[in-house]
Amino acid sequence: MNCKQVYRHICENLDENIHSARCRAIRKHLVSCPDCGAYLDSIKKTIALYKTIPTPKVPSAIHRKMLRVLTAEMARPVRQPARKQAHASR
Amino acid sequence: MTGYSSLTDAQLIRAAKRGDHEAFTALAKRYEETVYKFSIKMCHDKQKAAENLQDTFISVFRNLSSFVGKSKFSTWLYTIVTNNCLMKQRRRKLRDLEDPLEIYDEAPAHHGDRQRAPIARWEETPADLLVKKELRVALNAAIEKLPVEYRVVFVLRDVEGRSTEDTAKILNLSVEATKSRLRRARAFLRDKLQPYIGSHFERTT
Repeated sequence: MNCKQVYRHICENLDENIHSARCRAIRKHLVSCPDCGAYLDSIKKTIALYKTIPTPKVPSAIHRKMLRVLTAEMARPVRQPARKQAHASR
Repeated sequence: MTGYSSLTDAQLIRAAKRGDHEAFTALAKRYEETVYKFSIKMCHDKQKAAENLQDTFISVFRNLSSFVGKSKFSTWLYTIVTNNCLMKQRRRKLRDLEDPLEIYDEAPAHHGDRQRAPIARWEETPADLLVKKELRVALNAAIEKLPVEYRVVFVLRDVEGRSTEDTAKILNLSVEATKSRLRRARAFLRDKLQPYIGSHFERTT
């Protein structure tokens, strides 16, 4: 497997199917190619950075408003018909 | 509402379908953080995230009878919140959004060209990198530049940790199309962050 093939698949699969023949070939290539190793590491760190960014919790005012809106919706005597994006039969 | 918190999703859904509003409220409370945080990651706007939170649970309530449990409740919920997020953002025509990221189908310039500088290692850990304010700004700027159809794949798969198959199902895409968008999104974001971490390298195209 060459660098271009490895590039395509390390970005696509990362840690998925780690026992597949393709994954074994990628690991073998990475041992001898510092550039591909550095690239894979930077992709993994990019993902880790986005996973690590703190996300704010629901503010209490937003939580209370959601409950008010839901309570009003549940109290409606006649429901609006489901829209087409209603994801039927999921 | 004593006791609802110990019920499973399936039990709450069954009760809500029978008209138990407290069961539905318990379900909404259980997932409100998930929906809000996902919306923040997608919209980067607290006002839109708050609207999305309400819209999503109203949609869930109105359509609960159509949920028959073929997929996990969380998968169905992500489908609804994702659709709401995408509807709130300007949709681009497919041909307009595919072009800018097609360059990420090609390997970076070092491949097969030993005249070029090697790819710089990202020596610091993500925790060390996040201390840098300019990098935190760059992280937000980069993901906002990522077209929404790519951003949603990256957020679902890599940030929220859904499987590729689940992500494909949520977005009604093939697994192959999901992987292709994910590959381009990861490479796009990585390249946008590169100037803030190590020496830049040129792309082949």
